[in-house]
Amino acid sequence: MDERLEKALEFSNYALTINNQKRNIRNRVAQLQIVHYAGGVFIANHETISFIKTLIDMKHKKSIIIDSKNNPITVKSLNELLEKLMDAYTSATTEFDIENEKIKKSRNIKKIMDW
Amino acid sequence: MNEQKGVCFFAYNNEQLDYVKMAILASKYVKENLKLPVCLITDEGSDNWLSQTHSKELIEDSFDYIVITNDEMKPNHRRHYDSPWSEFAAQFNNSNKHKIYEYSPFEQTLLLDIDYIVKTDVLLKYFDGDSPVCMFDNALSVRNELPSPQERVLYDAGIKMWWSTVVYFDRSNFSKLFFDTWAHVADNYAFYQYLYNFPSRLFRTDYCVSIAVHILSGMQDTQTHLHIGNFDDTSLVNVSQKDDIIETHGLNEWIIIAHDQKETWKNILVKVDKQDIHVMNKRALERMLPGLMEEFDV
Repeated sequence: MDERLEKALEFSNYALTINNQKRNIRNRVAQLQIVHYAGGVFIANHETISFIKTLIDMKHKKSIIIDSKNNPITVKSLNELLEKLMDAYTSATTEFDIENEKIKKSRNIKKIMDW
Repeated sequence: MNEQKGVCFFAYNNEQLDYVKMAILASKYVKENLKLPVCLITDEGSDNWLSQTHSKELIEDSFDYIVITNDEMKPNHRRHYDSPWSEFAAQFNNSNKHKIYEYSPFEQTLLLDIDYIVKTDVLLKYFDGDSPVCMFDNALSVRNELPSPQERVLYDAGIKMWWSTVVYFDRSNFSKLFFDTWAHVADNYAFYQYLYNFPSRLFRTDYCVSIAVHILSGMQDTQTHLHIGNFDDTSLVNVSQKDDIIETHGLNEWIIIAHDQKETWKNILVKVDKQDIHVMNKRALERMLPGLMEEFDV
């Protein structure tokens, strides 16, 4: 086989593998961002966190929030929900960062697989 | 009063696969990551084999409860693959799966297939959720690809497929209604096959639960169901029968060779870590079992 093509195919396989690992990590992070609270399901993302913080800043202590399933949820303690969202967000992003750094440093498939 | 929360496995051995042995491994992972009691539901023959091939300590350590059933099983020949290049067939005993509502010793039960390996504590949160019944309604391969069309809908213009690999349920009236509906579909399988036009002669509990959900949703393919959760839209992650596990590092890091669905000779390597997975290639799981049991100090 033409050496140039052989190298290109090797890189193609590496790119396919690394992209798949990145998608696996994103799936894992999305799972970690799910927070169950007061019978509702909330996603610990920038939008939810900012909205809850805004309500708290406007001196609300409780509120009815539409969750990710489009159901109205009575949240009796906005502070408690914010704390849970921040915990989930922090652990998800920390794991994301660790795994992402590992992948960034992997220059070949063997490294990605930790061989 | 039943114990509050727990996990159940059905395991009926056949001439090809030692399901009870795989149930021990699956139970070890449950105890490691969910820290819940485990119940094995099996028949007398498989239970005798379990006692002959494993120590009493290991069995007691793996299973808090053992329920022996003597249900008559429907003939159900299933074709299994072990990589794209090797296949075998065996009787698959699953026609009593809906009876879990009767057999489970728990108030809140997580029913898992023995090839579902729990490597995280993610499922724990559904014990405190609002849905009396939860199942996956979508799946991905370890290559992050959707399953074949036949495993997304029951036929080309058919209803959405739900997976019975992982079923959470409580003791509510709705859960009872759900399992009664599942039993009705199982008892009238040929009629529902005609009505819903799903393929294959294999008796699949995935089809039974999909039809039960459809009936209980007012015959509509709804995105959100009032009583049936879909594990928050997350996906069941399948290691296909044509994929192979080639190496494990510790308990959690598994290296899988994952095939391309269209061009099966093309593979990529996938590292699966901190991810619950459904290992459909049972021979691959059996090959890895001794090493993984050693990791558990067994």
